[in-house]
Amino acid sequence: MALPPPDPQFVLRGTSAPVHTLHFSCGAPEPDIPLLFSGSENGFIHVWNLKTHRVDTALDGHGRKSVYCVETMGSKDRLLRQPGFLRLQLVDNLFHCNSQGRDQRICFWDLAEGRTSLTDSVFTEHVGFCRCSLLKVAQGRWLIAMAARSLEEVGSQNFDLEPDQFLFVFLMSGSDFGAAIQDVSLYLETRGGCQAGHAHVSEVMAVFDFAASGDKAEEWELGELSCGSQPVLLAGYEDGSVVLWNVPMGKALSQLICHQEPVMSLDFDSEKAKGISGSSEKVLSIWSLNEQQNLQVYKTHELVNAGISDITIRPDKKILATAGWDHRIRIFGWKKLKPLAVLDYHTATVHCVSFSDHSNPRDRLLAAGSKDQRISVWSIYAQT
Amino acid sequence: MAVFDTPQAAFGALRPVCVQLTRAQTVENVEQLQAHLAGVSGAALQELQEYVLFPLRFALRVPGPKQERLVQSLVQCISSVLAATCVKKQELLQELFSELCTCLAPPPSSGKAAPLSEELKLAVIQALHTLMHSAYGDIILSLYQPSTLPLLGFAVSLLLTLAEQEKAKQIKISALECLQVLVLQCDCQEHQRLDEDEAQKCGDLFASFLPGISITLSRVIAGDIKQGHKTTVSAIRLFYLIVGLVMADKQLARIPKSKEKLPVEHSRLSELMIHRGPDWTKSTAEKLSLLLHKVVESSSVHPHWKVRLELVELVHHLLTNCNQSLVDSFSHLLKALVGLVNDENSEVQSRCNEVLQGIGEQRIVAQNRALADVLSENLHSLATALPRLMNSQDDMGKVSTLSLLLGYLKLLGSKVNIVLNSVSHLQRLSKALLQVLELDVTDVKIVEARRSGPPGPLQQGVQKSRCQKKYFRFFTEEKVFQLLQQVCRVLGYYGNLYLLVDHFMGLYSESSLYRKQAAMILNELVTGAAGVGVDFLQEREAPLSVDDLKGSITSILDEYMDQANWYLVTSIDTEESSPEQSVQHLGLAVRARGTSSSVLHLSPEPPVTTRTMNSNIWQICIQLEGVGCFAAVLGKEFRLLLLSALYPVLEKAGDRTLLISETALGTLADICEACGYDSVRSLINENSDYLVNGISLNLRQLAYQPRASQVLDTMLRHSDANLLPLVEDVIQDVLSTLDQTYNSQASTFLRVLHSVMTALVQWFGMPSAQEHQQRQTDKGQSRARSQGQQEVTMTSQEVERFFLDYVSQKQIAEGDLPDLEEEEADEVPLAKPEPSCDTGEAPMPSHAQLARDVMERCIHLLSDGNLRVRLKVLDVLELCVTMLHPHGNHLLPMAHRVWPALVTRLISDDPLAVLRAFKVLCTLAQTCGDFLRQRFSKDVLPKLTSSLLSQAPVSARAGPVYSHTLAFKLQLAVLQGLGSLCEELDMGESDLNKVADACLIYLSAKQPVKLQEAAQSVFLHLMHVDPDSTWLLLSEVCCPEGYEPPHASLRPVKLSGMGRPRNELTDNVLLLLQRLQQQEGTAPSSSTQEASPS
Repeated sequence: MALPPPDPQFVLRGTSAPVHTLHFSCGAPEPDIPLLFSGSENGFIHVWNLKTHRVDTALDGHGRKSVYCVETMGSKDRLLRQPGFLRLQLVDNLFHCNSQGRDQRICFWDLAEGRTSLTDSVFTEHVGFCRCSLLKVAQGRWLIAMAARSLEEVGSQNFDLEPDQFLFVFLMSGSDFGAAIQDVSLYLETRGGCQAGHAHVSEVMAVFDFAASGDKAEEWELGELSCGSQPVLLAGYEDGSVVLWNVPMGKALSQLICHQEPVMSLDFDSEKAKGISGSSEKVLSIWSLNEQQNLQVYKTHELVNAGISDITIRPDKKILATAGWDHRIRIFGWKKLKPLAVLDYHTATVHCVSFSDHSNPRDRLLAAGSKDQRISVWSIYAQT
Repeated sequence: MAVFDTPQAAFGALRPVCVQLTRAQTVENVEQLQAHLAGVSGAALQELQEYVLFPLRFALRVPGPKQERLVQSLVQCISSVLAATCVKKQELLQELFSELCTCLAPPPSSGKAAPLSEELKLAVIQALHTLMHSAYGDIILSLYQPSTLPLLGFAVSLLLTLAEQEKAKQIKISALECLQVLVLQCDCQEHQRLDEDEAQKCGDLFASFLPGISITLSRVIAGDIKQGHKTTVSAIRLFYLIVGLVMADKQLARIPKSKEKLPVEHSRLSELMIHRGPDWTKSTAEKLSLLLHKVVESSSVHPHWKVRLELVELVHHLLTNCNQSLVDSFSHLLKALVGLVNDENSEVQSRCNEVLQGIGEQRIVAQNRALADVLSENLHSLATALPRLMNSQDDMGKVSTLSLLLGYLKLLGSKVNIVLNSVSHLQRLSKALLQVLELDVTDVKIVEARRSGPPGPLQQGVQKSRCQKKYFRFFTEEKVFQLLQQVCRVLGYYGNLYLLVDHFMGLYSESSLYRKQAAMILNELVTGAAGVGVDFLQEREAPLSVDDLKGSITSILDEYMDQANWYLVTSIDTEESSPEQSVQHLGLAVRARGTSSSVLHLSPEPPVTTRTMNSNIWQICIQLEGVGCFAAVLGKEFRLLLLSALYPVLEKAGDRTLLISETALGTLADICEACGYDSVRSLINENSDYLVNGISLNLRQLAYQPRASQVLDTMLRHSDANLLPLVEDVIQDVLSTLDQTYNSQASTFLRVLHSVMTALVQWFGMPSAQEHQQRQTDKGQSRARSQGQQEVTMTSQEVERFFLDYVSQKQIAEGDLPDLEEEEADEVPLAKPEPSCDTGEAPMPSHAQLARDVMERCIHLLSDGNLRVRLKVLDVLELCVTMLHPHGNHLLPMAHRVWPALVTRLISDDPLAVLRAFKVLCTLAQTCGDFLRQRFSKDVLPKLTSSLLSQAPVSARAGPVYSHTLAFKLQLAVLQGLGSLCEELDMGESDLNKVADACLIYLSAKQPVKLQEAAQSVFLHLMHVDPDSTWLLLSEVCCPEGYEPPHASLRPVKLSGMGRPRNELTDNVLLLLQRLQQQEGTAPSSSTQEASPS
């Protein structure tokens, strides 16, 4: 007998704006408090303490413009040796692009030891919904993949697929963030650094999507992928295609048209070499990557309601969650894409879903942020 | 009076007397010697000691029977010599000792004690006493050699016989004291302490006498009370001194393995000597245990306190000296000691406590495993007997039994874990506690006592919660409960908290019979574990860490607040019971699903009796108290647990059962204090996010909705406007939930909406009320102004002008519309609330928006099938109207939409609803003013007036009981409201006439007084609106005075009321006319009336 879907374990209120991105930081051992970062449309990043369910700090660095992505840099062991770990986020604001080109920034925050200082920021000149992708290539070396260029330029380029024009990829070493971030000209150098560094890289690849067609480059989605030792990038395009890029070479390896509508989100499972993408239509598309690095459609899954704004595969690759425009979160088994549950709580479009990185699987949580300004946190299939 | 200082002089003086005594042994001679002795100094006498003693001893030794008096005086004389001197020779000591003893010895022929006089016996005993004290230095020890054993034995047995068998108290006491000296345990300071070896030797020696002494003494102690307490006290003292000496652990530890061989010549003596080896120790201890038991039994209940005090000393002495050898006896001893803690005599009590304290501090128990075993064994047997004792004993008995239990636990201290680790011990103990703590759940009142209406909205001061008084099945005395509390706390203090919590949680979930008691015990355990309110004898080794405490508390809280334990049937209200029941089932199902480990099979629901409900209520209360305890224990740390704990507590604070809601409020106060919030309000305000979360999640489940609404209700009642932003969110949830469940949950949600609106009115209503008042006064002024103008025209005496006016009035009356519009246009700004012009553009504040949303729902619910729902809706509606009052632009459309439904209520519904609806109408009229005029006069007024008219004859005929009927109340309400309604709505003339017609009959003196008054008020209002027509109408009924036309060309005034005979309306009409006249009189100029003769 199918059980009724559960209620959220708790709901976080108080962002007072639609929530666009969520990011857990729960992996640290006991004395550290599990945290959840949320970025909302009013430019605030809230740091939620998951023990008290309250906001510890609110960061305001984006001039009231939407926060589209929040990532943390720094791992447990780094934290131990060097207490400063940084949060990186990308602001991308479509709605104010005309007046506020300067707000398309990536900001770096130093949150160690209770600080909340904005250490640095980078302009991206990109206008669109594309989130950036952060990848640790080696110790102290990070790769950010993100869409660069402004809307106008994209339009004028008529969607030439030349990657260097749309991709803004740069590698930073942990020691000199400042130098790495400031200038795009470092791109070539850092790309070299990436090549040099990836001798140690075993499983990381940046996946990154960018506007590819149509009049407006709007939808940029990204995920991560490992394939050999070369950082590659998967990008979902507005024309419904997914493209695999080799980052160091800056070369597209494979292209697959899997949606009729713009790709809204994608995620990739590097173990099974399979990925999933959602678009504004009623279809989820699963594709696989064969040994020749070619993308193939593996399967499609029909949905009841159209529009998927976010897809996340749980770190253990057992289930995945989608954030739907129909206000619902759907849970699928990743293996066969068996529908498992429909979580109905929100009263507006769900913008993002995120799984926590708790070290104990039983504690693992799912969080969803929605346009109704609430973040619902669920404990679901934690036993399996 | 030392006449003879030198030995020579003394010798001279004493010699003749001594010689004479030697020759003739008579009493006189002895007395003479004694008299002379008095004149000899101590030093001189010391020199002549043996010389003087010789004739005395000689006299004693003379064979043949002697006069008792002679012997007595001889002995007295000897003792006076000995008192002044000291014995320096061993032989002399031994000889004197044996000679004195012989005096008491029975004649060899008869086996019985010699029938000697009491004086003699006393004298001999005293002489022996003196002798022992006069022995010089180590000389005394010569008496304690194996060789003198027979002699000593003889003396001991003599004295024991005397102590036991004599009747005279004096002799008994002296004999006992003498014995005490004899065993070298004298109280006086003169004696030098024995060193260890000597003590050891004496111990060996006295071991031979121990059986005799102890048996006899135990008989003395247990003897007749008439022997006096002093005897008993001495006997007890002697008992413990000798036992303490012989059985001293220190000595026994040094006893060699095998018996020492004595020289051959003492071979016979060696048989008498005892080797205090392990075997002997064991058997002696066993026998002593019996004796001690007897001693304790008799003396612990001895009526004299000094005896009991001595018993305490006995325990103390033995416990310090013999805690290993006499370990088996300690069960009795400790029992006595612990039992005496509650002695009625304060001295005994304090000494007892001191001793216990001492035991605790010296860690005698902690270091002695065997003793701990004894104690735990005691504990076990006591626990076994406890339920029986609790059943049979009276409260005093219970107090002593429980203080015994408490004493054991305290003595055990940290060793209590030995007991707790044994399953059988723990089970006995816990079962006993569970049984004793069984509550009396027969009281029906607890189930019946309901919270009457909403309680006082805001408890400002944080009252410290007092535990609800509980009634137990097996005792009534408060002291018993306190002792039980202490028992649990001490257990928690010393015991392994995890183990205990686990065990009692097991019992808690084992059976619903145990649940309340187990919860009570758990509460106290945790309190004790934190060291709050515990009396203890010794500090525990390691205090509990906060994390451990928090861990235990979290698990207990989880259990308490589990669906199955937190949501119990406490009432059989038709309104509430069904959802509650289903909640339970659902809760169980959820639980079974949530944790696969606990599989609960749903037994068919047992019928809910008052008993079970009472029991459930108590369980909830105890659990609530527990939450309070935990908060107090954790202090600010508890803030983290508020996340899960606050919501359920608040839920209970809104419970309908008085006891539960009171307890919950107390718990809230506790939490405030513990977590450092200065009031319940700030507690709720600062944690409203947790509450809102709980409410919103619970609203999603149909079955939990009533409870979620209860919490919201409580939250609103205890909070203030700061809460609004958060509450707003959840109220939207409520409204959307309501939209989905109009049929099933309407009444539940209406309660919430009602409290929401009440809260809003309270928070935001004040300014608007002022505005409203101001508006009223404005209106009043303007009306006065317009009236004033009218007056001016009236009083100017310019007839021509009057006629012009009259003509124009007539034109208007004939339907000259432009004028009418003009007049209305004048009125419009008056009727419209001033602020509405501004707020029309500005966005509505959120509270007004809420009010509008709520009002929207009310429209749908106004025609609900259930009368109660309709009544509630009307209440809410009224609040909404009040709330929306400053925002006319929004209110008017809403009023428009509400109107049809409201009219239906007004004209065709249950009288109760009509009453309520009429009130709403009045409020609405206040705020909407002329917006309603047309509708009112068309839809409602005819119905109202006709019902008033039709009811009038009924009320006129009715008796005094009528004032309790609904019809009366309806009449009254309509009459009371109608006047102001007319004024507010600024009704047209024809409507006013209708009203006046309908109300006129209520001025009848036949109507009930209240209705008359109400009718008067209608007319008073009418006078404000249109004084002239009212005057005319009233005067038509009754006109007390005639009016002379001011000019002969005018026709004389003829009113139909003139010259009417007095009828039932007259009084009221006259009164009203008078008021009208007064009112006109206050107007600037009212000369018409002045002109007429009055």
